Amino acid sequence: MKLKSLFMAGAMSLAATGVWAECAYENEVPLKSLSAGFEAWKAVTDAMAECGNFSASLDQEFREKQPEAFAANPSLYQIGGVANETMIPLLNAGSLRPLDDLVEKYGQDLLPNQLIKVDGKVMAIAMMVNAQHLMYRNDVLADLGIEEPKTYDDVLAAAAKIKEAGVMEYPIGGTFKTGWNLAQEFVNMYMGEGGQFFGEGNMPSINNEQGVKALETMKAMTEFMDPEYLVSDSTYVQQQFQQGKIAMANLWASRAAAMNDEAESQVVGKVTMASAPMGAAAPSTTIWWDGVVLAANMSDEEADAAFRLVLEGIDGDMVSANNDVAVWLSPAYTPGDLAAGAAASAENGAKAYPASAPMGVLHSALGNGLADYLTGAKDASTTLADIEAAYLTAAKEAGLVNN
Amino acid sequence: MNFRTFAAFVGPSVFMMLLFIAFPLVSVFKQSFYITQPIYETVEVETCTPGFLTQTCVTEEKSQPVLDEHGEVITQTQYVGLQSYRNVLEPERAWRAITDGSISALTTIDFWKALRFTLTFTLITLPLVIVCGLGIAVMINNAAQAIRGPVIFISLLPFIITPVIGVLSVNWLFRGDGILTALLEWWLNRDIALFAQAWTIEILMMLYRVWHVAPFAAIVFYAGLQTVNQDSLESAVIDGATRWQRMKYIVIPHLMPLIIFVSMIHLMDSYRVFEEIVGFASQGYVISLQWLTYDFLVPDQAGNRSISRASASAMLTMIGIAILLIFPLRRTWRDHKGGH
Amino acid sequence: MSSRALRQPLSLRLTSNIFLAFWCLVAIFPIFWITVMSFKSPVDAFDSNALNVIFGPTTLSNGNGLSLLDIILGIAVIWGTIALVSKKMPVMIKAYSKEGQEWLGWVIGILAAAVGFLVVFFVILPAILSVLNPLFGPLGRDILGLTTEHYQTVWIDRGFSNNFKNSLIVTTGVVVLSLSVGTLAGYGLARSGSNLAFWLLIVALVFRALPPSALVASYLPVFISSSEWLAPILGENAPTLYGKPFAVIAVLVAINQPFTIWMLRSFFQNIPAELDEAARVDGCNHFQAFRRVIMPVMWPGVITTGLFSFLLAYNDILVTSLLLDAQNQTMVPAIVGMFNRETTTTDQVVAVAAAVSITAPLIFLVLIFQRQIVSGLTAGAVKG
Repeated sequence: MKLKSLFMAGAMSLAATGVWAECAYENEVPLKSLSAGFEAWKAVTDAMAECGNFSASLDQEFREKQPEAFAANPSLYQIGGVANETMIPLLNAGSLRPLDDLVEKYGQDLLPNQLIKVDGKVMAIAMMVNAQHLMYRNDVLADLGIEEPKTYDDVLAAAAKIKEAGVMEYPIGGTFKTGWNLAQEFVNMYMGEGGQFFGEGNMPSINNEQGVKALETMKAMTEFMDPEYLVSDSTYVQQQFQQGKIAMANLWASRAAAMNDEAESQVVGKVTMASAPMGAAAPSTTIWWDGVVLAANMSDEEADAAFRLVLEGIDGDMVSANNDVAVWLSPAYTPGDLAAGAAASAENGAKAYPASAPMGVLHSALGNGLADYLTGAKDASTTLADIEAAYLTAAKEAGLVNN
Repeated sequence: MNFRTFAAFVGPSVFMMLLFIAFPLVSVFKQSFYITQPIYETVEVETCTPGFLTQTCVTEEKSQPVLDEHGEVITQTQYVGLQSYRNVLEPERAWRAITDGSISALTTIDFWKALRFTLTFTLITLPLVIVCGLGIAVMINNAAQAIRGPVIFISLLPFIITPVIGVLSVNWLFRGDGILTALLEWWLNRDIALFAQAWTIEILMMLYRVWHVAPFAAIVFYAGLQTVNQDSLESAVIDGATRWQRMKYIVIPHLMPLIIFVSMIHLMDSYRVFEEIVGFASQGYVISLQWLTYDFLVPDQAGNRSISRASASAMLTMIGIAILLIFPLRRTWRDHKGGH
Repeated sequence: MSSRALRQPLSLRLTSNIFLAFWCLVAIFPIFWITVMSFKSPVDAFDSNALNVIFGPTTLSNGNGLSLLDIILGIAVIWGTIALVSKKMPVMIKAYSKEGQEWLGWVIGILAAAVGFLVVFFVILPAILSVLNPLFGPLGRDILGLTTEHYQTVWIDRGFSNNFKNSLIVTTGVVVLSLSVGTLAGYGLARSGSNLAFWLLIVALVFRALPPSALVASYLPVFISSSEWLAPILGENAPTLYGKPFAVIAVLVAINQPFTIWMLRSFFQNIPAELDEAARVDGCNHFQAFRRVIMPVMWPGVITTGLFSFLLAYNDILVTSLLLDAQNQTMVPAIVGMFNRETTTTDQVVAVAAAVSITAPLIFLVLIFQRQIVSGLTAGAVKG
């Protein structure tokens, strides 16, 4: 970091603290929160901590701890951070407090968009959305006279051209790390092709034309990717972009700001955010949200205090101070160029991630099973059949599918 | 020593082991024969989630667990016999693969894939660790007195370093254009991707493990070398024994108990290989038995976990270790009986 | 091997020493490398050219660097400290501390050395150098890019000192408890020839072989709901075990017991049984014999075993990450958390700095106890 930028950063953080150093009120009820640990949560919990009497756990293992801790009576944490999928276990176990009364009392400033409703009851307050979308190097594509890629065929054609021109050896980056990331890529593709994950009674239905098409597209992409793609996660792809090693990737909106980070990026201003490539039916992406829930097992007094604290944490001051950290759901958020990709994807009809208990099982089965196809150990339909079989075993054990 | 004194001495230790190891172990054993699951009902639910600008609401049929009057999930527990073991082992598929004579088909089944790697890993690193440890110990012993201290100090570093940190640092050295991969590429003058195929990752994992454990073996052996009987060495020299013969007939037999000790520890630890899988993110290519157990156990995003299969796979891992340990243990029995 | 007959030919010694040098290089390289990375700006740290990582041109151009003079004096101070700690300190402690209270001397000595080093290295040395550097011309010009900003971020901004304190609590607890419980059991097992003792050892061995992830996961629900199921016994004050360091200490001690009792048993077996039998003839019971006769001679083995307990507790991630909450989190899970969640390259280097920070105490520890480890092992703490 240059000395000047260090001063700038210092000045900015001072200015920022000046804005929200003082919480609007003093919190008197001791409160605790448990959430994932990414940047946005850090910003929100820091803002909440300004009000006092609050401690945040930004925990690696929150998925494992949250259901148990919220089931305890009284709950070990009053406030929880969840995403669409991680809310399911809490919701299913009845550990969440409906928020309608509190929204009515305090939530005048919330957007209707932020209220996560299940069966008409508000169960969570969303604070941000996230989606994977296309990022590409506008300078590289312009040099070779390539239009903005709209579909994966365009992406592949562009990659072939870039490689042929000798600009880059591996023009495409992808979050193909075995496990959750890889499965997420498949889910994106499959949703883009318009596939359905489940039939009657939670039976899997991915071994079909759309599934094979999704796999084939993924395999075609790997031809243009660094051969170590099975270990590359979002941070790695982001670094590849920053170092100018790749020209295109379907990467998370929350990573967009890093492309223009002068301290570490060599491609400042050269990356354009665009809609996720279109599949046959929709953009090949899914929309995720992150938000806040309150535990059911606590007193009304605590719930009242917790809700006020949450609103303080996601208020306009916090959002304006951390505008580029995420795509915030807040009237104070000014979507810049960096959010253009997420917006364009949504405009093109991107769907929400189909969160459900069986989807959790299928996502894991996909994560473990897909690598066999990409490494060439199995063909496409055997891979999908094996994943379905793995899903069935796990789903039967979980009681989701009857024997 | 009578029984009561003995009990008083070992009591606290046994109590702690019972409470925190034996008791959970019994529950793991029991869980491997039972399945506990919530009772689901299918209901139609309307869910509204945020879009980028406006909300989208969908009405779907969803499986929801039934709650009792206290708001707790009703679960049912069912005895399933060996079903969970069958789910882990997948005997039909394995048998079909074997009768087809197709090893590669066998190794696409998770358990057998994990077993194959775990055994390879254990059996290849074991001799490497012993030989490297012995080699380093002998070399330190040969070195001048003045440099022994610093050399022992440096040798111990790979052993004491936090395994997670060790794996990560080796990971950086090799992954992508890591410094050592770049060096290899420059030397061999070709593009190398060490994390792009199974065998290179396996070699890296084994090298890491040897790097991490050999110092422990070396320091134990070095301690053993200090007590080698000098008189018998000297008389062997007078009898005209070569260096190699002295090593083979005097030093190695003297170190034998230590070699067995180190082997035993190493067998147990390497059969539970886990950090390497996570640290090198190798799940796409190779997995180990303990990783398999862990994977069953970790809840997915929606909170489902396969406790029964995890328990079965943990029991199977234990059986494997027990079989491997029979040979070194027979000696301990003799020692124990002979020592009194 | 002092005898003339055993002297080795030059060629053999040369090969042996060359291999040894090679091994030392292999052993130290990864650690050396992450240390170098932690002092560089993110662009340098992840550069694929080794020379850029070492010399750090970007770091240097940002105005952070060391001159030749800095380097020479810095190395001199480190070397002096090592020499002082490893040569002078044991002698001084022997001379100044009372018989039987040497451990106190060690604690004071180590603390004094650590504080002294920090003060000299980070306060006095920079002050002297800022005066000297301009006087020495080319010698005083910055040539090596180096920055400590990542360490400042870790320890000051991220509150890593809290994690350090938690690690200290857990580790100390585990070592003390594990050794007190383990020495008793090890002694009992060594002096009893009964079949029960043998089977206890075998069962302990099986416990040692268990895959820990299976056990640890079953603790979580029990620990979280402990205030509910302990309430009938302890009433109102029943604690929630989840998140409490003492609960984690107990779990780690239990998991560590099998190895501890095996090591201590073989160590006690090498102490002649005649010693305590003689004491018992003089009218001591087993416990008195243990205290009067065995305790004074058992320290080498106990120190060695203690070091292994220390490593286990200090390096543990499985138990601590699952059973502790953020306020009581120890260092290793905290670092892994940093690596997994931090998205920018700067944060990655900060995490590297944290990784180096937790390795430093380990290195310091080995530096001090190295001789005790070897002598403990030689005395037979490990034997079949």
